[in-house]
Amino acid sequence: MTMKEKIITIIQEMATEYGWTIISDYTDDTVLLESGLDSLGFAILVARLEEELQYDPFSMMDEPVYPKTLREFVAIYERYAS
Amino acid sequence: MNLETLPEIVGSFSGDHAVLATPSTVLSVDRLLEEAAALRRGFMVTAKSRIALKGLPAWALLTALVAFDGKVEAMLLLPASLDEATIDQLLVAAGCTHFMNAEGVCALQDARNGDASPDVAATQWLLATSGTTGTPKLIAHTLASITRSVKRDSVKGADFIWGLLYDPSRFAGLQVVLQALLSGSLLIASDSREFDSQLEALVRHGVNALSATPSLWRKMLMDKRVMACPLRQITLGGEIADQQILDALCRSFPTARIAHIYASTEAGTVFSVHDRRVGFPAAWLQGENFPIPLRIGDDGHLFIKPPRLPDGLEIARRLDVEGYLDTEDMVRVEGDRVLFSGRASGTINVGGNKVIPELVEQHLRRVDGVLDVRVSGKKNCITGQLVAAEIIARSGVDAVVLRKEIMSYCKAHLEEWQIPGVISFMDELKESAAGKRERVQR
Repeated sequence: MTMKEKIITIIQEMATEYGWTIISDYTDDTVLLESGLDSLGFAILVARLEEELQYDPFSMMDEPVYPKTLREFVAIYERYAS
Repeated sequence: MNLETLPEIVGSFSGDHAVLATPSTVLSVDRLLEEAAALRRGFMVTAKSRIALKGLPAWALLTALVAFDGKVEAMLLLPASLDEATIDQLLVAAGCTHFMNAEGVCALQDARNGDASPDVAATQWLLATSGTTGTPKLIAHTLASITRSVKRDSVKGADFIWGLLYDPSRFAGLQVVLQALLSGSLLIASDSREFDSQLEALVRHGVNALSATPSLWRKMLMDKRVMACPLRQITLGGEIADQQILDALCRSFPTARIAHIYASTEAGTVFSVHDRRVGFPAAWLQGENFPIPLRIGDDGHLFIKPPRLPDGLEIARRLDVEGYLDTEDMVRVEGDRVLFSGRASGTINVGGNKVIPELVEQHLRRVDGVLDVRVSGKKNCITGQLVAAEIIARSGVDAVVLRKEIMSYCKAHLEEWQIPGVISFMDELKESAAGKRERVQR
């Protein structure tokens, strides 16, 4: 599974678990905060990914980046994958 | 002592000066004074009246404050988000005679009693603390104490357009409202509490001064629409500002003055830090250019000595022999800075919403199959902290099934920010030497 597929799968699992109403189709250009995730959902997603992947790229950055689209979000996780 | 009243201050500005703009209305000084006078006439207040103002939008709250400051004994500001039981409790504690909300006004008890003198010495402004220890407590301010750190330079003020993102009935929001009002700046407020319409109003009116929590700033930087605002003044408060958000704001708004403020409902604005670095200079502890006397207690708490503090038991119980107030905030010295670690009480701060770990634990223990639980804060890059729950399941209970049970219970009984964002299953939970559950942030 690619990083993008993994992330989308986790978003969908969490939406079911937390009862979020998210869009059905995530693409590279999907704006995360317009996809049914609010900032709390976004925070929980980052925490869940840390459990799954064993790293939190946002805490590893020297320069903070706030990703807007799924593409930017996935790229950050790929960049910090060891 | 400063006995100036709010209507006197407002009356010192020219009548056509615009005080507040919302998508549906613009309030000038003349109109504000007229509406305040009409409200006062309709209310039949006396110098003994004690008026609760519940969940009013900015324009209505401003009208009420101008109507009643200097005319009544006390005004109780109740945020929109308080539940009924807490409101009842606070109305009784404050001895309120009248209640006003967006629908109108009603008398709570025989309000005709009391003397008929038209003016009072100084109206009390009663604010509820944000409820760190569970139940909000009342803090009695006056206009003078609550505006202690508000700048009143109307020449500079004329160039600023402030945006309001906070509930104006809470300390942080009231500071924004009064800062704009007293320095002659226009205030922009949305009619709605929705993030989208708030942001839209800010952008449409070209807001150039904005105060928000670090969590909200992170959200705005992700959203990016705020980049259209020509921000010259950026204020962060309500939570610990980390270096990442300060750096991100510096880069996004290179010419803006960026201040993170340390304030509380109890102590008011204690100090603000403008050097774009986290925490505050350790030299302040030694009395070098310090804004007010500060010291760190043996327990790691920050103690402060502001020139003026509200009265009341809640304040008195936290004063030491030399008159320093225990802020109950934990700090540590690193190099030349003093950094904030969190609340001594261990409250978890999820994007500005305070969560009491013990309370969530009590809830989770009610879920069938949960034997024990420890709730703590987990550091998070977006909301500062998240609620994390470590669960010990009863033997023979399937973790996957229990996880679903826990989530469906939480969705029915807890606010969304109280719901654990991280749930892990453990074999045992450790206690501290004092026999207390350890709740350190991870």
